[in-house]
Amino acid sequence: MDDDELIASLAGGDDMALRQLFDRHAPWLAARLRKALPPDDVEDVLQETFLAVWKNAGTYQPRGTPAAWLWVIARNQAALLLRKRGPATQALLDEGGPVSDPAEAAATRTDLDVAAAAALGPPGCPDRELWRLMYEEGRPVAEVAELMGVPEGTVKSRAHRARRLLRAALGGVQ
Amino acid sequence: MNDPSLNEPIGGGSRSAANDDIDLDRVWVNVAAEVWRRHPGRLERTAARLLRSPGLARALFTTPSLLLPWLIASAVVLAVGALTQVGAGQPVVWLIAPAVAAVGIAYSYGPGLDPAWELSCSMPVSDRLVLLTRGVAVFAMNAVLGLIASAATLGTHASAGTAQLTFAWLLPMTAACAFALAVAVAVRSAMAGAGAGVGAWLTLVLAHSATDGAGGGLSAPALTSAITDANLYLPYLAVAACCAVIVLFATRPRRGLL
Amino acid sequence: MNIELTDVTRTFGRNKAVDGVSLAVGPGVFGLLGPNGAGKTSLLRMLATVLPPSSGTVRLLDRDPSRPAARTEIRRRLGYLPQNLGYYPSFTVAEFVEYFALLKEMPAHQVPKAVAAAVERVDLGPRAKARLRTLSGGMLRRVGIAQAIVNGPDLLLLDEPTAGLDPEQRVAFRTLIRDLGQHATVVVSTHLVEDVGTACSEVALMAEGKVVFRGTPDELTAQGEGHQVGDSPLERGYSAVLAASREQVAA
Repeated sequence: MDDDELIASLAGGDDMALRQLFDRHAPWLAARLRKALPPDDVEDVLQETFLAVWKNAGTYQPRGTPAAWLWVIARNQAALLLRKRGPATQALLDEGGPVSDPAEAAATRTDLDVAAAAALGPPGCPDRELWRLMYEEGRPVAEVAELMGVPEGTVKSRAHRARRLLRAALGGVQ
Repeated sequence: MNDPSLNEPIGGGSRSAANDDIDLDRVWVNVAAEVWRRHPGRLERTAARLLRSPGLARALFTTPSLLLPWLIASAVVLAVGALTQVGAGQPVVWLIAPAVAAVGIAYSYGPGLDPAWELSCSMPVSDRLVLLTRGVAVFAMNAVLGLIASAATLGTHASAGTAQLTFAWLLPMTAACAFALAVAVAVRSAMAGAGAGVGAWLTLVLAHSATDGAGGGLSAPALTSAITDANLYLPYLAVAACCAVIVLFATRPRRGLL
Repeated sequence: MNIELTDVTRTFGRNKAVDGVSLAVGPGVFGLLGPNGAGKTSLLRMLATVLPPSSGTVRLLDRDPSRPAARTEIRRRLGYLPQNLGYYPSFTVAEFVEYFALLKEMPAHQVPKAVAAAVERVDLGPRAKARLRTLSGGMLRRVGIAQAIVNGPDLLLLDEPTAGLDPEQRVAFRTLIRDLGQHATVVVSTHLVEDVGTACSEVALMAEGKVVFRGTPDELTAQGEGHQVGDSPLERGYSAVLAASREQVAA
């Protein structure tokens, strides 16, 4: 079963589906969380993440990638954990700015492969290429415009559309 | 008490993690603990407090789910109840009826039919206490069914017999078993509880016969009326209330327990 | 020592099922071998406090099980898998293990995690919410092992634990008891010699109610030198000791 089917199944109370989802995604979630958190906290966050998945599977809407949905939940659980400990530790998890917009939050390097694949299409298509140049490689607008052979205004409007598509792909889950 | 090696799964293989310092198997066990967790209802939680044992409360509420023992125990209880009506003029019937019913319940939920009986005998919670608890469950649930049947058959030919069975046998026996269980829980001894239950039954019967104006003494009519007399329902309720007071006092919440 | 038996006897009518057994066992895995009717199950039942001895003294976990309070404390720290364990068909795997965790008077807040750990430990996680009536014999046996280990016992008694398990599961089982034996006394009673060969640090062989051999598996193997009956060295040692005990009885 693919991830969407697993989530639909566990929304119906299938704990086996949760187990499969855990086996599939816990390792990479752990690896990403470990970049910002100590091992004990990673384990706590993972536990709360998958319990949140179990409780909220019914709210998942299969428009985006399940992995991105999981990451948003994990990130939120990590933020909750750190918020309890104070603002200084909150900064550990911030990667380049506030987390208010899930699309902006997901537009970090760690989210790129996962979210962009579903929202922007396969590598090579214009939106995906623009995303790669601007956000993965961090090139300025002028350079991206030159490389793609389009005006800077076009680059900016395509970037805006790409962020909108990514936001829709994440399903607006908080 | 908690063995760390219990967290390591066997056979199924460990979950690999990019970081060796994160135990994903332990994380999964914690997730599974919440997902598989059974949430007892309010009645069971109340019973756990009254009985001072979540295990006894679970035994009480799972009594009907052991289907074959439940059917046989209920059949014995109802058959004995019917016999007491047939033998209304025989004092010995009233004296041995509870014993016959108890043997039937003990066989059904004991070494006769309980598939996990030997295991139950190795538990800290006494197997006799579990049997006493199951006895209360058998009588109480059949009493409830009897009350429903009595209400349903009101005004019909079967009304008198159903009411007799319910009010003269099932309800008094429920009270006696509840008293026995209350004493057993308070002193943590099933034998003491059973003795108290038997004593209470005999005391009720003999006390009524001693105050019986018509014949006095232990007579068949006195014994029969001791069981069917509506005036005794108040003493039954008083016994039940005493049980409740004893148990509530003995099981009052203490810091750190239950 | 977690088990101390001194001249323990158990009779059923005129049949002496256990005849003057003396044993002292500490932490580790202890194998109890013997043919059917040797008295292994009766001995295990006495260790599980299900049966009292007819004579002799028993001390478990440094307590006297003939005293009610001590017996209750022993049972809280005991795990037992009977030879013939029946199941409640309408219970799920998790419910069955939870029920006995509660009867073992485990603190209620510890039960969910202990149940999950025990069920995963015997690799029944995927079937945790399955009704027992739907499980195979081998799976039911693993449920029995799970309820035995749920309370992290200091004394674990397993009577024919590998009945119905396939070879892979039996290998996993031996790993499990080796792990548990690092912290507790594990007694495995079986008539299958290969179950004890690699897992047990010490072995006793019973015949006709008596212990006729006690030592390491290697010492039992050494008894079989020159003996022809048996497919493996340990089996030959087992057969040799049994044959010698029968000759002694006949004489």
